Amino acid sequence: MIGRERDSTGPSFRMGKTASAFLLLLSAFPPVLLSAQDGVDRLALRFASMTAVTGLEQAMVDSLRALFPGSARDQAGNVTLTLGQGSPKRLFTCPLDEVGYVVGNILPDGFLLLRRVGGGGASRTASPLFDQQLEGHRVTVFGARGAVPGVVAVRSTHLTRGRGAPGAPDPVFTVDNAYVDVGASSAAEVQGLGIAMLAPVSLAKRPQLYGERLLAAPVAGRRAACAALATAVQAKPKVKGTVMVAFTVQSLYTRNPGLASVKALLGPFDEIKTAALPARYADTAVETVALADADRLVREIVQWMEGR
Amino acid sequence: MMADGGTGGRAVGIAVMVFLSASLSVPLSAQDSTRIVEAQSILAPLVESYGVSGAEGPVREAVKRLLPTWAKSETDTAGNLWVRVGQGSPVVVVIAHLDEIGFRVSGIRDDGTLELETRGGFISSLFEAKPALVHTDQGDIAGVFLPRDSGFTGHTPPPLRVDVGAGSRAKAMTLGVSLGQTVTMPKQYVRLSGTRATGRSFDDRVGATAQLIALRRLDRAALKHQVIFIWSVREEIGLEGAAAAAAALGTTPRRVHAIDTFVSADSPIELPNFAVAPIGRGAVARALDNSSITPPAYVDSLVQVARARGVALQVGTTNGGNDGSEFTPYGVVDVPIGWPLRYSHSPAEVIDLKDVVSLADVIRAVAETW
Repeated sequence: MIGRERDSTGPSFRMGKTASAFLLLLSAFPPVLLSAQDGVDRLALRFASMTAVTGLEQAMVDSLRALFPGSARDQAGNVTLTLGQGSPKRLFTCPLDEVGYVVGNILPDGFLLLRRVGGGGASRTASPLFDQQLEGHRVTVFGARGAVPGVVAVRSTHLTRGRGAPGAPDPVFTVDNAYVDVGASSAAEVQGLGIAMLAPVSLAKRPQLYGERLLAAPVAGRRAACAALATAVQAKPKVKGTVMVAFTVQSLYTRNPGLASVKALLGPFDEIKTAALPARYADTAVETVALADADRLVREIVQWMEGR
Repeated sequence: MMADGGTGGRAVGIAVMVFLSASLSVPLSAQDSTRIVEAQSILAPLVESYGVSGAEGPVREAVKRLLPTWAKSETDTAGNLWVRVGQGSPVVVVIAHLDEIGFRVSGIRDDGTLELETRGGFISSLFEAKPALVHTDQGDIAGVFLPRDSGFTGHTPPPLRVDVGAGSRAKAMTLGVSLGQTVTMPKQYVRLSGTRATGRSFDDRVGATAQLIALRRLDRAALKHQVIFIWSVREEIGLEGAAAAAAALGTTPRRVHAIDTFVSADSPIELPNFAVAPIGRGAVARALDNSSITPPAYVDSLVQVARARGVALQVGTTNGGNDGSEFTPYGVVDVPIGWPLRYSHSPAEVIDLKDVVSLADVIRAVAETW
């Protein structure tokens, strides 16, 4: 699905009959279809394995820069590249970021405390169960010396027995109760691992394929949509006029300053669209997209870029 | 370790678990001693084997592959794996369990989603909205544990189901799903800082590992009596394998040492009333739990055995049951030995490998000198 933007809250765009007919035609050429399918599957898995906590997307930005050697990183952190030249001047975007966490405190006994980033502001509210996904699971802390595995503490099943009164409240787990255990016994040991305040933290990413090309992972919808955009660019479309492609940052924080920056620095644009895909189990660790939908999105983006 | 009062195809070719974060798995730390290397080399493959209670076959086969070449093993009708070493009385039994907590498919709905029943006691929310694996004879089928519908805002979800992406009962069965198959979550052994590690089912793969290390290092010539090493089944659902072994041995053994988790309160979110054995400070004499009380004289003897070998041993009390308790009705004294574990029965259990080494050394000392 492509979202068309006339302003920041523009209506979504759906394929018309002509486009659908063209897709049927495209599907009659298996070699083309298989090639694009392999590409989008590979990139969707790769992107879904990455972490880009809103405002702290540097690692994924670097990866995209490496994927597209001609790309640029603007001062807000967005990755942009220019295809074609002349008029019209259009923009295709995909938001990279995700709701996540940063290290908010390092305790003397080596445990880390967290602060959530995104998912609590006006732009988007996380599910009441969002933080609970951390409890008792492996996380990754992105320290100065690389990724550090850790876990979020949970009460041992055995030690809860007989300690709760029947009918007692059953409150959800929140980030305020999240103690991250990286195996360290002191704050100095934590610092020795390269972990400092504000280090990004996310659930360990373990994308899973199941069923018929279903991809399950945190923010799988966004990442598969970005993979579709990247695959479309790699297909080297014959662009009509100028198409700016922007993988944007901070879409989940306050007023989407990443996209606003692209518009301010590189606009105005005659048309703006955003890559998006429908997802099941949204905002969970098993958010699921159908990669067949990503195939369709790739073709749709290429058609749009070529002005067809 | 059993939680007392608990609640309880097509193979990976098409359903591939993609561990793109595998680089986070730290194989070995530069400072690891040879003992830590040895412990990890046995523990990691056992942790990454799957064996829900009643379906321990893959774990049992992994243990058999890791036995010393001289060891002759036998599997009893219950599924327990036995290795007998030495001759004569008094017979001593050492027993660790092979199984892990999980689920079993109890129904397949019209929409292809799988209904589950629990096998063992655990916090069900830890599985909600997470990747799933259905274990079949033809391989694993990937899926997801369904998130709850909106509207439930408590910690505990409604009964969990699994979606394998089938869409219908017929399609699910075509994929290879059938009633009675076991279901777990993908797992991975991962090193943490120092000598610590995380994974799922350390309970009781650490015990199984320690028995293997002890056997490998055992001075068989030093044995003064027979020692029977048992890797048991169905511990998490009621000590069933141990019950079968105990019935087979009757009054023959003098002592039994259950080698199982010491669930530790070594965490900022646990109450410090008891179970405070910290990780990294050695094995633990599990002097009192919910299934057995070790006579104090035997606890003292165990402490002396460990001290004579210079092996770290803590003494404590924790919750849960142990396999050794099934032997006590036959007059056998249960002297369980544990190892401290954080976050028991969760997908992110944490251990210190130094405790695995300590536990193996205590078992060896018990076999050779007590």
